[in-house]
Amino acid sequence: MLGWTWGLLFAPQDAVQGNSYRIIFLHVPSVIFAELVYFFMAICALMHLVWRVKLAAYLIKSAAPIGAMITFIGLFSGSIWGIPTWGTWWQWDARITSTLILFIMYLGILTLHGSFSNLEKADRLMSILVIIGVVNIPIIKKSVDWWSTLHQPASISVSGSTSIDPSMLYPLFISVIGLGFTLISLGILSSRSYILSREKNKKWALKHV
Amino acid sequence: MFRLLKTESFKLSNKLKSWLGPLLIMVLVLIAFPLSIDISQYDLEKFYFSIIVVSLLMTSFVATEGMFEEDFEDGSLEQEFLIEKDFYKLVLSKIIVYVCLIGIPIAFIGALFSFANGVAIGSFAKVFLLLILSNLLLFNLFAFGNALSINKGAMLGVLSSLPLALPVIILLGRAIRSIQFGDGFSSIIALMFGLGLILSAMMPLIISAALKTHID
Repeated sequence: MLGWTWGLLFAPQDAVQGNSYRIIFLHVPSVIFAELVYFFMAICALMHLVWRVKLAAYLIKSAAPIGAMITFIGLFSGSIWGIPTWGTWWQWDARITSTLILFIMYLGILTLHGSFSNLEKADRLMSILVIIGVVNIPIIKKSVDWWSTLHQPASISVSGSTSIDPSMLYPLFISVIGLGFTLISLGILSSRSYILSREKNKKWALKHV
Repeated sequence: MFRLLKTESFKLSNKLKSWLGPLLIMVLVLIAFPLSIDISQYDLEKFYFSIIVVSLLMTSFVATEGMFEEDFEDGSLEQEFLIEKDFYKLVLSKIIVYVCLIGIPIAFIGALFSFANGVAIGSFAKVFLLLILSNLLLFNLFAFGNALSINKGAMLGVLSSLPLALPVIILLGRAIRSIQFGDGFSSIIALMFGLGLILSAMMPLIISAALKTHID
């Protein structure tokens, strides 16, 4: 909230885009977490397949709807931003298309898990799909470098310099951190209820229901 | 391996619907395309490749739709697991047989129809090669989608494998542009060939893991 309030009300106007750039405070954090959530799911999938950690599969199942939601927000906010800057809602550009693929991937994972009545089998198949789908993450990240895209290249770099003025960069950072904590809380709540629903017949779970 | 190749080609050639259906769909789409739109020969040449990409995607999906379903339901998948302890060879032979019996004819039809749609006759070999490699890549990916969903319907297979097929389509689009403008075709074909080899080596492993989960 602090990041959004700072960004939406107090950060200066952009010299070229005017006020329309302010959607950056929603768009950038959501697409960052769209990829991070998937990456987290891939680590969990690996843990589930290699070490047969049951909890890892539960975490994937709980994180997938959150990932789908945040990817949708990223796509939708980008689409809204596209109107004043590019003059179009949608463009079949490499970055946008690969993010749409990520969204479809999330839906695929959820559908795959939902279509099996044997939940252990569903967990394993879902983990395999998650690991295979991770190939899309570097494609999204590097799409602006590999293809000539309408989407701008990265403005913030971990190793190099950033092209955003600090007056806009600080609220953006706070928005990213804020959204991160919000998603972690959502993830904890959703995984808690999912674990309880999966383990409802166990003694320890009955104490908490 | 030879036993599996023989069995799989016998099984597929006996299932008329499985191999003839995709070929007929391909022919139907390629005939219907110039008839359904009123455009000049120049435009036909320009748009022909877009329709071939879409029809290739459709036919590859239709061709691989029931790849493992019948084997799973009649118990032969389980029997194969008892003999080989793994599905790697089975999956690899299935993909090879599908590429030979469906992929190559599809590539030939696509390349043949390209003349009727104004593409230069010198491009036959390029279009043919491009379509074979695309089929190899798409068959591998759709086989993965079908191994995950097995008997749970086509929608699940599409949702699982279409996101993976889209990078192949992007690559195919680049190759097509290189045929049209005559620039950098060999490098894209080399990339697709390399990708085809990697996928053909890796995908049977992954598909095998998915199939094992189903029979566990």
